[in-house]
Amino acid sequence: MRTLAPSLLTRPFQGEGRGGGEGTDRHDKEEVTMAIHRAVKSASTTLAAAALGIALAAPASGQSIRIGFHAPLTGFAAADGKSALNGAELAVAQVNAAGGVNGRKIELVVQDDQAKADQAVPLANKYIGEGLKIVVSGSYSGPTRAAAGVFQKAQVPYISAYAIHPDITRAGDYVFRTSFMGEVQGRAAAKFVGEMMKKRKVTLVTLNNDFGQSLSAGFKEVAGKFGIQIASEYSYAMGDRQFGSIVASVKRDDPEMLYVSGYFFNGGPLVAQLRAGGVTAPILGTEGFDTHNFIKIAGQAADGVMITTSLDRDSKSPETRKFIDDYEKKFGTPVDMVAASTHTAIKVAAAALAKAGGEDPAKIRGAIAATRGFQVATGRISFNALGEVYKAAQIQVIRDGRFRHQATIDDPQLLAPPTK
Amino acid sequence: MKEGNGNHDATTHAGMYYVELLLVGLIWGCTYAMMALGLTLVYGLLRVLHVAQATVFTLGAYIGLLAANHTGSLIAAFVTGALAAGALGPLIYRFVYQPILDRPPFVALVASIGVLVAMEDGFRLLFGPYGLSFEDNVWFTTTYAVAGMTVNLVQIWMVVAAVLLLSAFAVFATRTRAGVAWRATVSDPPMAESFGVSVVGVRYTSFLIASVLAGVAGVLVGLLNNLVEPGMGGVIAYKGLAIIVLGGLGSVPGTLAASLVLGVVESYGTVFLDKLLDRDAIAFLFLIVVLMVRPQGLLGGR
Repeated sequence: MRTLAPSLLTRPFQGEGRGGGEGTDRHDKEEVTMAIHRAVKSASTTLAAAALGIALAAPASGQSIRIGFHAPLTGFAAADGKSALNGAELAVAQVNAAGGVNGRKIELVVQDDQAKADQAVPLANKYIGEGLKIVVSGSYSGPTRAAAGVFQKAQVPYISAYAIHPDITRAGDYVFRTSFMGEVQGRAAAKFVGEMMKKRKVTLVTLNNDFGQSLSAGFKEVAGKFGIQIASEYSYAMGDRQFGSIVASVKRDDPEMLYVSGYFFNGGPLVAQLRAGGVTAPILGTEGFDTHNFIKIAGQAADGVMITTSLDRDSKSPETRKFIDDYEKKFGTPVDMVAASTHTAIKVAAAALAKAGGEDPAKIRGAIAATRGFQVATGRISFNALGEVYKAAQIQVIRDGRFRHQATIDDPQLLAPPTK
Repeated sequence: MKEGNGNHDATTHAGMYYVELLLVGLIWGCTYAMMALGLTLVYGLLRVLHVAQATVFTLGAYIGLLAANHTGSLIAAFVTGALAAGALGPLIYRFVYQPILDRPPFVALVASIGVLVAMEDGFRLLFGPYGLSFEDNVWFTTTYAVAGMTVNLVQIWMVVAAVLLLSAFAVFATRTRAGVAWRATVSDPPMAESFGVSVVGVRYTSFLIASVLAGVAGVLVGLLNNLVEPGMGGVIAYKGLAIIVLGGLGSVPGTLAASLVLGVVESYGTVFLDKLLDRDAIAFLFLIVVLMVRPQGLLGGR
């Protein structure tokens, strides 16, 4: 679901770093400042990357099967990187506790990509050079998209856990995705708003990057079909935390419901400001809000907010229950969508390794591609010919400071991912 | 606001809408003013673009938040936030800028950016990557309805704090001996020194004032967002630079005017230009346009 523009140049003016997520070069640049900024930044990141590389690429224990895993452990996306690594580590621990894969333990070879596309290619080559036969991305679209082509060329199976950009799986048949594409999730949102909530007049507040725009595009694509009329649409940038103008505009438009995209660090302040500004219409958010941090930021205002996501906290599935219980026991923090997604991706990788019966990349690829109705933390998943996933969409609602089940949308036609 | 889509007092609302946007912009402008004044002070004195002011701002926010969550008092947040920021600013001067003051200004700028970048990850290591929120942000949830507009107590305090602190600064600069000494040092350091003004003392005072303003702004922005995060100073630091250029480098009234104007431009821009440009792009586009028309800045003479 996450994206990152490859352009380093845009980053500093968006400050925040998180601003790096918008796919835009529109910012006007002060060349000198930027060049200096870049130099300082790249020197420090090179050092950090080197140190981390040494620490994490320690020689593998002879017997275990190594799975590459990269995530933004430092930099602006470090919050998601932490959840991503937690989810992946839990999956590895669970697989090993259950006897490993074909009698061998699995282990992660972790690298930090800082959510930057320019870090991804060297990192991918390093995995390939070390002879790894399967790699999972626990990162945003920028690095994942850049690495996908490298892995495809080397014919190393590559699974994107939660990056949303459509081009990722288009890199070729060795690349898979276990999360919803933005458009698919947006379509689920439209069905929920129009058919289940029966709301007609809807205002969209869209984060202006790949993630937000693809969600809104999916929503608008099928809105008419579900009787929804788009009253107005506003967009905001990744670095924004203050939404006074949008709140005033929403009040003027007086919609029956709001569909809001973004991440928890935008969405939390946005929802809090909407409520403080007197907007009472129900709010539907996206999987970007699917973390306890959203509730911490929005506080009371989070109550009643609904989201589309792929993790059902009230699921009866033993696989999901075990994920939630083990995660909270192991890390002492509530689960989130990112952790559930990397957990899912590692489970898919482990199952494929088991089925392939060895470390032949072609066989592993075939095993992933053949995955049908596989029960994981994010539900029952199957891949299509493009390597995109099908699974039911979850609508969760926040009640008393916790995510709870609101609805499940299991509509294979509506939620069918593209096949090419 | 009422449920549903009733068109209650639609016409008044339409007019009030533009007033509300103006108000939103002025509140943002107050935040910018508190940050940019400090940048102007430092620039006026040392010709250093003090980007690391954002680090001071962020530290103020973190310390204030921790104090508030520990004591349950938002007043404590402001006191501790201002103290922590007030300590850090002069330290940055002493250990980062002072040793390299005889070098060209860009050297100090590079050092300043280095501090900002390093401390962003420093905050991440110290306080975690997720950012922190106030446990009981009563000012944010205390709202007042004024003529169909809703303002919360943080927004009111943002304006009150900006007016009070900036007025206090104006009184200091124009009515006190220290203020006169300070202005003398800005315009002619050797001459001021020969009259017995401690140039070094003036520098520390400037960093102290700039940093306290930044610390208070940090706590206020933390309250407004209910989120204090490692990178929160970034945007405001770079925008602060744009503002002091807009204001005509080193001009205090120009800086204040530029802050408010930029806040208002952004407020309207985020709604009416949002499909074309995002908020930061609007700010810098505005900067470029103004500099094309008035290279000396909004209020610059020359």
